[in-house]
Amino acid sequence: MQLPPAAVQALQVLVVLFMAPLVSGVIARVEARLQGRRGPRSLQPYYDIAKLFRKEMLAPEGASWVFLAAPVVAFTSFLTVPLLIPVLTDFPLPLGYMGDIMGGGLILALGGFSVALAALDTGDPYSQLGSSRAMTFGALIEPSVLFVVFAVALITTTDLPYAMAAVDRSSLAQALRPAHLLAAVAFFLVVLSDTGRIPVETHTSTLEFGMIDEARTFEHSGPALALLKWGSAIKQMVLYVILVDVFCAPWGLAGSRQLGGVLLAVPVILAKALGAGTIFAVIDNSFSKLRLYKITEFMASAFALSAVSVLVLYLGGG
Amino acid sequence: MPVPLLVTVPSPPTTFDGVTEALAVLVLLVVFAMMREALLRSQVRLYAFQSLAVAALAGVLGASQHAGELYVLAGLSVVLKVVLVPAVVLRLLSAAEVDLAGSHRFGVATMVLLGVVVSVIGFLTVSNIPINSSGVNSLPVPALSAAAATVLVSFVLVMFRADVVSQAVGFFSMENGVSVASLVVAARMPLILEVGFLFDLLVAGVAFGVLMRAHHRRSASLSTETLDQLRG
Repeated sequence: MQLPPAAVQALQVLVVLFMAPLVSGVIARVEARLQGRRGPRSLQPYYDIAKLFRKEMLAPEGASWVFLAAPVVAFTSFLTVPLLIPVLTDFPLPLGYMGDIMGGGLILALGGFSVALAALDTGDPYSQLGSSRAMTFGALIEPSVLFVVFAVALITTTDLPYAMAAVDRSSLAQALRPAHLLAAVAFFLVVLSDTGRIPVETHTSTLEFGMIDEARTFEHSGPALALLKWGSAIKQMVLYVILVDVFCAPWGLAGSRQLGGVLLAVPVILAKALGAGTIFAVIDNSFSKLRLYKITEFMASAFALSAVSVLVLYLGGG
Repeated sequence: MPVPLLVTVPSPPTTFDGVTEALAVLVLLVVFAMMREALLRSQVRLYAFQSLAVAALAGVLGASQHAGELYVLAGLSVVLKVVLVPAVVLRLLSAAEVDLAGSHRFGVATMVLLGVVVSVIGFLTVSNIPINSSGVNSLPVPALSAAAATVLVSFVLVMFRADVVSQAVGFFSMENGVSVASLVVAARMPLILEVGFLFDLLVAGVAFGVLMRAHHRRSASLSTETLDQLRG
């Protein structure tokens, strides 16, 4: 049975929407196991979100509509990106042409920006510290993202994520060409930084002074906090999907709109996201957090990798 | 129906080109890692790793050209550059017992950005030189660009790290860059010349060893900052 394109498109969004908390939960459990703890059950994020939705929502005195709108804006923008990237199918769906990689990056950045604005709006010093840091480091990692996009554009002559995945699949030589490997590693570092993982941020920490992304949501409560937590799980899943399905392992996607193939792609993408998450959990446990002023070194390494990738491509066809 | 992706993709390099380019780029990236590495000991280990990549490059080239002398070269580089020189420098370091970490004149991020700029210059310069690497299974020209960039970035390392060990390691990695370049341009040059290069490296190793010892005895540190105060 052929599914209509709109149904597949909707399914992509729904898969990311409902599986993202599971991915976070499993990663938290893997991390706990690696540290010798039993850890929370894998479904814990769902219970947390459900609990927060039932709670009362409070806003700090003097906070404007920005504070209330931000969680919704962030949630919506993170959910828009799965329309643009290969989640289930290896061919672009009708709305897949709506935006390229830059478009996806812009929408993700819009989500982050709205949360940062809301944090400024609260007047809470810790939230403001978090949003100031998040914007600073976000700006520093952005050049690496740009150069990864340049590398993709030079390899595929387009900037569609689907085209990049198709090129990777076309031959092993394409997947293993030096420029592609460098760009993939650079993007891996970008994902580490954007999901608030260990060399940049301790995402489980409760210490305010080391916080970057986590600090921004201090003043939110109830359903707003639930949306923010869910949104950050979705953002993490989206980044994992881009890393896996565009750069590292674009295999196992559905080749047509047959019901069986599309349904089979769901557990495959879940397994791939969990695999990526396990790698991140291992990194989380084997390195220590960088001091705040050393984070620029991390960003500079990511930039060097992506810049060398573009150089090798542009000047040598590598 | 699935919408076909109408893209004509530039063809990827062949397996041989891909592997050799990746090794050459690895040699370049290790210099960036050296800039970032604070501990002198780890810097020396990185140099050993970089030399291993150069030796592997010689080995791959030897295998594809069926050239016996390239195997000899690869073997000699492993013995000298991966084992002997790093071991000597590490021994000197453990004798010195001070200055585990080197000093930076600039922040690491600034140095890395400078390195990126310098390697862009290296890549651009070499890509404008008309080099005919037409021989069968000769190294691709991008490897030469990476070699030039390695030499230039090593200069940055030598200039902006103010300790004797970084200077030595930077000099050695410059030599590695030159080795890669010579493998690209004239892979089958007479073995006696290659051995001459390696001997040169050994002399440099001894010279730097003597410098490190003398400097450490005189100033009880490996930093070159004190050298600035010398007046005739």
